[in-house]
Amino acid sequence: MTANSATGNGGDAARAMAGAPCIVRYQGVIKRFGAFTALNGVDLDVHAGEVVCLIGPSGSGKSTLLRCTNGLETIDGGAIEFEGATLPRDERALRAMRRRMGMVFQSFELFPHFTALQNVAEGPRTVLGQSADAADARAKALLAKVGLADKAASYPSALSGGQQQRVAIARALAMEPDVMLFDEPTSALDPETIGEVLNVMKALAEEGMTMVVVTHEMTFARRVGDWIAVFDAGRIVEQGVPDQIFDAPATDRTRDFLSHLGWTG
Amino acid sequence: MTLDWSVVWQHRDALLAGTATTVLLTFATMAIAVPCGIVVAVLRLYGPAPVRAAATAYVELFRNLPLILVVFWAFYVLPIWTGLSGLSPLATGLAALALNVTAYNAETFRAGINSIRRGQVEAAMALGMSRLQALRRVIVPQAVRRITPVLASTWVSLFKDTSLVSVIAVTELAYSAMQVRAQTFRVLEMLTAMAAIYWLLGYPQAKLVDWIQRRYAVTE
Amino acid sequence: MDFDLSVITDHARFLASGVGVTLALAALSGATSLVLGLVVALLRLYGPRGLRHVVVLYIDSMRAIPVLVVLVWTFFALPIVTGLTMPPFAAALIGLTIHLAAYAAEIIRAGIESVRPGQTRAAVALGMSPAQAVRRIVLPQAVVRTLPAFGSLLSITIKDTAIASVIAVPELMRQSETVAGQSFQPIEVYTFAMLVYFLMLFPVTRGVDRVYRRVAHLGRS
Repeated sequence: MTANSATGNGGDAARAMAGAPCIVRYQGVIKRFGAFTALNGVDLDVHAGEVVCLIGPSGSGKSTLLRCTNGLETIDGGAIEFEGATLPRDERALRAMRRRMGMVFQSFELFPHFTALQNVAEGPRTVLGQSADAADARAKALLAKVGLADKAASYPSALSGGQQQRVAIARALAMEPDVMLFDEPTSALDPETIGEVLNVMKALAEEGMTMVVVTHEMTFARRVGDWIAVFDAGRIVEQGVPDQIFDAPATDRTRDFLSHLGWTG
Repeated sequence: MTLDWSVVWQHRDALLAGTATTVLLTFATMAIAVPCGIVVAVLRLYGPAPVRAAATAYVELFRNLPLILVVFWAFYVLPIWTGLSGLSPLATGLAALALNVTAYNAETFRAGINSIRRGQVEAAMALGMSRLQALRRVIVPQAVRRITPVLASTWVSLFKDTSLVSVIAVTELAYSAMQVRAQTFRVLEMLTAMAAIYWLLGYPQAKLVDWIQRRYAVTE
Repeated sequence: MDFDLSVITDHARFLASGVGVTLALAALSGATSLVLGLVVALLRLYGPRGLRHVVVLYIDSMRAIPVLVVLVWTFFALPIVTGLTMPPFAAALIGLTIHLAAYAAEIIRAGIESVRPGQTRAAVALGMSPAQAVRRIVLPQAVVRTLPAFGSLLSITIKDTAIASVIAVPELMRQSETVAGQSFQPIEVYTFAMLVYFLMLFPVTRGVDRVYRRVAHLGRS
């Protein structure tokens, strides 16, 4: 794949899951907001079972790329492929694709008028047309999986940030997606609750879920990530395996970014 | 100055009938203006550009006109436009009120829907919901909470505004009271009775609106 | 339906005088209701207990009674009680003031209460007296915060002047009725009146919106 060659990387050979099928492929993706270019030619592959972490300074385009992936934003140039098919423009076809992608938002965005159980069951019920019983049963199992079985009847307003985010993860999982998109999942959390969410994400990764994670949690990226893409000003300046990125960054920009975070490994 | 308050009691039938008409007008207007308001709001939010412009023009027009003028205008113009020359004052009054309140309701519904955070829509769409499903399952239930207090307030305003159709001789409370005044020449008694009846009906409604607003207070 | 605009041009001066009266009545009753509303709001917030109940009763009563009823009572019934004759304009001014002041009072009260208590505490901590704190810190912020609501009330005030036509105040609505009655061309006359009112009212809310957007940050604590 020539896409990575211009960005200074660790080479495909070191990439653990390079042989697995490509779930998401970004080719020369361009996105503009008026006069501002948020994404200026992004090339990236996400293979099945990989945890790809997008890191970089605020405003460098990481979240924008994620939101283009499931069509919340439309791209102005280049292409995004999901499971071999280009992302459609048609809203209905796009919706069908969205069902196979799960998204977790920085602000959780749980539905406040539903209990935790109802939140998790909502996707299967309304979108997949499952029966109430089947959806509820699956929701209960997923809430147990994220450690919140006892909060099934609670409303979001009664839950802590970390609990709400875990419910949000369960809600996305209920659709049985092929890829999970995390948009700064812990940025809005109190430090004490960050750990519980990261643990759920780690368990998910160990089960083999394909994940694209925009994050500032470098320890998580290093330990759980399989592939790191460093963003700056709308482009990927460097991508590679975590060890190489964090221990021996190849570009100045990456070095600057990591040192600003106080990253000492 | 001799006052004869018995006049009020003597003509209680007329006053009661007038009150009934007032209440009927309020209910009937809302019965029309709530569904129509929803339609106009939806057209304004999600319709194609020319439809959106037309809906906005309608709302802005009727929010910026005195209702009493709309009543007069409806009385003279509506029979000609609709070709129904036998339109009763009651129907005309109802039409004028409905046109007016629909516009206010449309604005209330639109603002209520827009007040829901964008992230909620995005979360619903990320699950694969269509716009309609997102509206039905996520937006509308939350919007209803914000809209209800405003709608209650509009109801009370409407109740008072029904008095304006008296100018085209609709026999609601104000007209009935002023008719009795004209017949009996008991000005102070009848006008005070009129005010008192409106007060008796309107005061509890205002208090109810306060209660609704407290109960449905939205804390973000 | 043919539109004969000559009826408008023939009576242009007559109708224009109506516009003048509308604006005068709106401006005057707007000003007086603002002053009375401020007094009522302050009484409700800081006044002695007994007076507070009277004030609340007054405010809630004005929410219950239609403007038409207030105006009609002021013009026809009040002179019987006081023994003084009252010209229509004066009756309309008094009636509108009493009615609108209740709403103004509520807007002011909500505005004052919406200023965070921390602001008052900070002012007092600096050594200000409660009166100074209200005057220098709370009221200015409240004024900014209530701008949109007052814009709306101004719009309502102008619309309510049209109701004064019922007690023969020669404002635009009344003048239109007269011309329409004499000329037998109600459609042209009332459509024209609608246009004039719209042109008066539409800029009011738009203008207030624009001013508010510029100064809103001054009220955000």
